[in-house]
Amino acid sequence: MPIHQISGCIGCNACIESCPTDVIKLDEATQKAVIKYPEDCQICHLCRLYCPVGAITITPEKSIPVMVSWR
Amino acid sequence: MSDSDNKGLSRRQFIGTAGGVLGAAAAGAYVFNQMDFNKPPISNDTPLPPSTFSVKHIESDVLVIGSGMAGLFAAVKAHDAGAKVTMVSKGRLGSSGLTPFAKGIFSYDKNTSNMSIDQFVAKVSESAIQSNNPVFTRQLAEHSKARVEELKEWGFFDSPLYNESFSRPINERAIPLHQRVMITHLIKENGRVVGASGFSLDKPNLIHFKAKTVVLCSGSGGFKPSGFPVCDLTHDGTIMAYKIGAKVTGKEWNDGHPGSAKNSGSSYDNWHGQVEEKPSITGADIHHDLGVDINYQAYKIGPPITMGPPMGPPGKNSQQQAQMAQAKGGPFVPAAFRQRSAPPPPPPQKEGGILALFSGKKPGGGPPPGMGGEQVGGSSAGMAIHKSEGLTPINETGLSTIPGLYAAGDALGSHMSGGIYAQIGSSLAGSAVQGAIAGEAAAQASQNTPSVSVNADRLREIEQEIFAPLKRKRGYSPAWVTQVLQGIMIPNFVLYIKKERLLQAALAYVEELKEHHVPMLIANDLHKLRLAHETENMIITAEMKLKASIMRKESRCSHYRLDYPEIDHKNWQAWINIYQDENGNMAFEKQPFGSWAKAIS
Repeated sequence: MPIHQISGCIGCNACIESCPTDVIKLDEATQKAVIKYPEDCQICHLCRLYCPVGAITITPEKSIPVMVSWR
Repeated sequence: MSDSDNKGLSRRQFIGTAGGVLGAAAAGAYVFNQMDFNKPPISNDTPLPPSTFSVKHIESDVLVIGSGMAGLFAAVKAHDAGAKVTMVSKGRLGSSGLTPFAKGIFSYDKNTSNMSIDQFVAKVSESAIQSNNPVFTRQLAEHSKARVEELKEWGFFDSPLYNESFSRPINERAIPLHQRVMITHLIKENGRVVGASGFSLDKPNLIHFKAKTVVLCSGSGGFKPSGFPVCDLTHDGTIMAYKIGAKVTGKEWNDGHPGSAKNSGSSYDNWHGQVEEKPSITGADIHHDLGVDINYQAYKIGPPITMGPPMGPPGKNSQQQAQMAQAKGGPFVPAAFRQRSAPPPPPPQKEGGILALFSGKKPGGGPPPGMGGEQVGGSSAGMAIHKSEGLTPINETGLSTIPGLYAAGDALGSHMSGGIYAQIGSSLAGSAVQGAIAGEAAAQASQNTPSVSVNADRLREIEQEIFAPLKRKRGYSPAWVTQVLQGIMIPNFVLYIKKERLLQAALAYVEELKEHHVPMLIANDLHKLRLAHETENMIITAEMKLKASIMRKESRCSHYRLDYPEIDHKNWQAWINIYQDENGNMAFEKQPFGSWAKAIS
């Protein structure tokens, strides 16, 4: 998984705004951030760094295969 | 890819199918189906009909598109020059594009530097094999220190995160800022730019921005590659400018950042957590940092390719030098920049060539980004050298060939250091310098421009083009088309180690995507609507990169042709401009080094 879990969200929107690839959305019902498009996560960690309560955990593997120039 | 994620498809099978251009494209499709993610719908049962969108109109003198380093200075300086400024960004101020990850900023101080500005410009030109525009090289040196001083005042160097320091000058000036709005169109009336249109990523809002001048600070882009934080940049500014007739340049150059073979999809890990460091100031040391030399070694001798210190201990070659020796030949390095012959060898922990372009060393002596261990290529695939690709300037202010339309930073093909990286930290400094100059020039031009008008019929057309992927009942998912594009373009033997036959083969695929698949891209929410428009921009960029690479029948700097490995000083002392001809076809022209393009009248 890339962005893996949001636990203890206070609904401040910081992660949603700071995600360059629009992976996180606000759940209208709960008013908490949810990981909506993990396949688009570039694993840059900006969401985690901007989160004021340390709610976000991230792992280094992409959720989809990656294309590289050789392997 | 991790083994656990690679359901039902062994690594060997994946590599086997990726053995050719045909195979590569097929591999993209095959793997995608295996993963069953995103579930491309057979029919596009959209919950987001265009009728639910509200339409808003916003007017200003200067519209700044993009909120990275270039956009920050463009907005501030345009405001300070007396213009009414609006800023719009696909992301967040200081937290999108490449700016948040750039941790070194170049500052030239003529009082302390051991080189004059003339010497600095001459040395960069030598490294760039004359492919730089010396006007922009000089501008970087002359203005970088003043911009760095302003950044200091705003608190830029006090935090690893830039949103707060960027917000300070924007808030002090009360510059209206529209974040998370994707601009898809520039609007042109009577030959000049008069605004831009786009949509919000959060609510079904469509916004038309009317402006006397526009400064594109939208960065460069890539093919959403793995391990480099460029996946939100898809050359949007360049492509929307191209579509209204602007000339664009620099598409044959290649950024050659490799990534780590382990967790190659993680930009954070590839950069060793550098995003958590505070930025620092870098000096005027001049390099010839290729990147594609690694691609050449991988092509010739095969993986595994490792990267370590460029120099070995005294009397002994480093592993990298051994790889170079085994690969023989490859991209030309000007004599003055051949590290092997440059005494004395730098200590291993100091500077990492291509891999340390955004910063110096990691505090504590750890390796700079990407250094150490087995490397894979294509981490920044689809991106050229910073400042080398984007709108063709007609003068030193970053004015494009379209009246009223300026660009700065990575959206401007300024060729500040040509088709090569010549300094660490100049990418970020160049964006600051060019943004400030373009912003001020745009403000002045706005004062001389009477009000502009926008044709209502044209706005309706633009709205329909924005909505099109939402309205299609069936078609192709942007994620699938993107992965096919990556399969075509990212293999080493297409994008990096170039030869005519493979460039033509890849072009056939890319033209198929452009002609048949782009018109059938579908979306059923705002996120996918963004992806659909980004996918189109990436595909047009791929076409530009392939055709420009076919045209440049020589090798120079980061453009390497296996079938034309020499520099051709007779025919190729020139940049390549790309534009739409009167029939809407992609056309190409040479522009001699040292000359300016002309405005389109």
